[in-house]
Amino acid sequence: MTSLLRVDGLTKHFPVSHGVFSSRLGGSVKAVDGISFAIGRGETLGLVGESGCGKSTTGRCINRLHEPSSGSIEFDGTDVRRLRGRRLKAFRRDVQFIFQDPYASLNPRMTFGEIMAEPLVIHGIGSRRERQEQAKDMLKTVGLNPEHIHRYPHEFSGGQRQRVGIARALMLRPKMIICDEPVSALDVSIQAQIINLLEELQEEFGLTYLFIAHDLAVVRHICDRVAVMYLGKIVELGGWREVYNAPHHPYTQSLLSAVPVPDPEKQRQRARIILRGDVPSPVDPPSGCRFHTRCPIAQFPICREQEPPLEGKTGGQMAACHFAKPFPIPEDRMLGGE
Amino acid sequence: MPPLLEVDDLHMHFFTRDGVVKAVDGVSFTLEHGQTLGVVGESGSGKSVTALSIMRLIPEPPGKVVKGDIRFKGESILAMSEREQRGLRGNRIAMIFQDPMTSLNPVHRVGRQIAEPLRLHKDMDRKAAWAAAVELLAEVGIPQARERARGYPHEFSGGMRQRAMIAMALACGPDILIADEPTTALDVTIQAQILELMQEIQQRTKSAIILITHDLGVVADMADNILVMYGGKAVEFGAADDVFYRPLHPYTWGLLESLPRHDVDDKGALSPIKGQPPSLINLPPGCSFAPRCAYATRSCGDEQAGLVEMEPGHFSSCRFAGDAGFLAQFENRSSYLSDYAQRDSQ
Repeated sequence: MTSLLRVDGLTKHFPVSHGVFSSRLGGSVKAVDGISFAIGRGETLGLVGESGCGKSTTGRCINRLHEPSSGSIEFDGTDVRRLRGRRLKAFRRDVQFIFQDPYASLNPRMTFGEIMAEPLVIHGIGSRRERQEQAKDMLKTVGLNPEHIHRYPHEFSGGQRQRVGIARALMLRPKMIICDEPVSALDVSIQAQIINLLEELQEEFGLTYLFIAHDLAVVRHICDRVAVMYLGKIVELGGWREVYNAPHHPYTQSLLSAVPVPDPEKQRQRARIILRGDVPSPVDPPSGCRFHTRCPIAQFPICREQEPPLEGKTGGQMAACHFAKPFPIPEDRMLGGE
Repeated sequence: MPPLLEVDDLHMHFFTRDGVVKAVDGVSFTLEHGQTLGVVGESGSGKSVTALSIMRLIPEPPGKVVKGDIRFKGESILAMSEREQRGLRGNRIAMIFQDPMTSLNPVHRVGRQIAEPLRLHKDMDRKAAWAAAVELLAEVGIPQARERARGYPHEFSGGMRQRAMIAMALACGPDILIADEPTTALDVTIQAQILELMQEIQQRTKSAIILITHDLGVVADMADNILVMYGGKAVEFGAADDVFYRPLHPYTWGLLESLPRHDVDDKGALSPIKGQPPSLINLPPGCSFAPRCAYATRSCGDEQAGLVEMEPGHFSSCRFAGDAGFLAQFENRSSYLSDYAQRDSQ
């Protein structure tokens, strides 16, 4: 599979200032700190991790909503970081966004039709009438009534609004969509509707997804490959089967074991690794392996002193851990055993 | 002996300019010492309003209990005087909320906020209450409790704030702890910590917990009994295993079916519930789930009986719940059921 997107050594540091009246800069938040991955055409890569791990920042760096601090981003053969002006605009046509909050991401004073025509207006595509027609077609594609183009977001529920958010992203026929927590604000029964829709659209339009989410069950369902992030680093990266059935990094293992499964019997039998403490601050991340302060299998001094590289492991996935090994719990407790 | 808490056909309506919002429109359940009741349902299903009604925290007007009763140890909470209600609230029945940042006062030290219920309900002096607050903080797993008690909420992380909220709720040793989405704002590893803490506390104090959540995984982990709500109505109530493995209401079944499976390799399309949740102002007559229900018939629009006990301890509001042919439809398609049947036959 040829890759559509290739990210290499991406970092994004946000400077921290000491209050409004001080010009003194004190360090930086290392939101993303040297990550590399690739996404193949038509593939869905999941980016998971807890809040503050840098997954959203990564998404925003890719289409240059944030300017990366260093590293390279290559999309469809072009060096994204060098793009300026008109060429940057053209690139953004190909990479669209779907946001988490369907209430905040739609302008309440615009009708659905105007919201959906907006990307076409910005890129100077079609006449007013053509744009209207396209908006109608797209509403039908995402499962809404085409007559709704004259109505406003407040008249609709969260799930219906998210459909419009998706329709807007599709108006420019992008090659790739960055989905930033697209279903986490929705109720369970509506979540399933939107997930199915995203999968159908991927098929229909040949889309590539970067799927950012914290819900591990949803990511397992929709993604081909999964990258697990912790404090600005990718700690494990591989096919969904490898990552979910035989996670190698102790953080992935803890994360998977912490998710309660909707099955009382299984839940009673499961062994759980409960991590102690909180995620350290990304302003001053721990030395060596960033996970060593909470890691159940850390050994000292090596984990404190040496940063483990992200390298291939027995299961076929990559993991960044000095002592990575397959999940030690019995087969019947595994998530997603064959 | 009467149950610890009995909610009996509660109807809490809000009288607004746009019409009557039937936020809670027929909810019944009982709760005993040491039990955990999981309340599940989508946003707007009336979970939180039920909890706030038990706490008597719904302003009246616009709210009004138009029907039903809430009894604590056999005594009607609704009939109590304001003063008696205050004696229960925060003392015998305590509540923790979803967002620990907005439910703690940002300008007071955490220790003082935890000491407040003790001074109010237990008549402790300032010093004794402070000492008790420090002890409570240590009990909920906050390191260096003596120093942290002097801190302000913004100095605490999300998980620590929720621990502080729990300490505050536990201060008076309540009989019932109501937790409204206590872990929804937290990351999974922190959620696991908080759920573990709640279980630990329950074992020690034998208090009853009402856990409101939309996360079926959390319910499977914590609950003894489950109440499923839809459109302001209780649609199913029963033991956790019964509700998960032998759901007696199409909504419960649809909810379980719409989850991504966590244990099979087959990643076929999900089975969502069709349509959108109802508006509580214009609830359809009869079963409020009927417009989205794949099994609804015309008679579902008629007046409904509310929860009916279909088998011992297992209630459903679906008029077809006892119908053998109807249940068979579930059995044919529900993978949960097949797992359960397999286990039974082994």
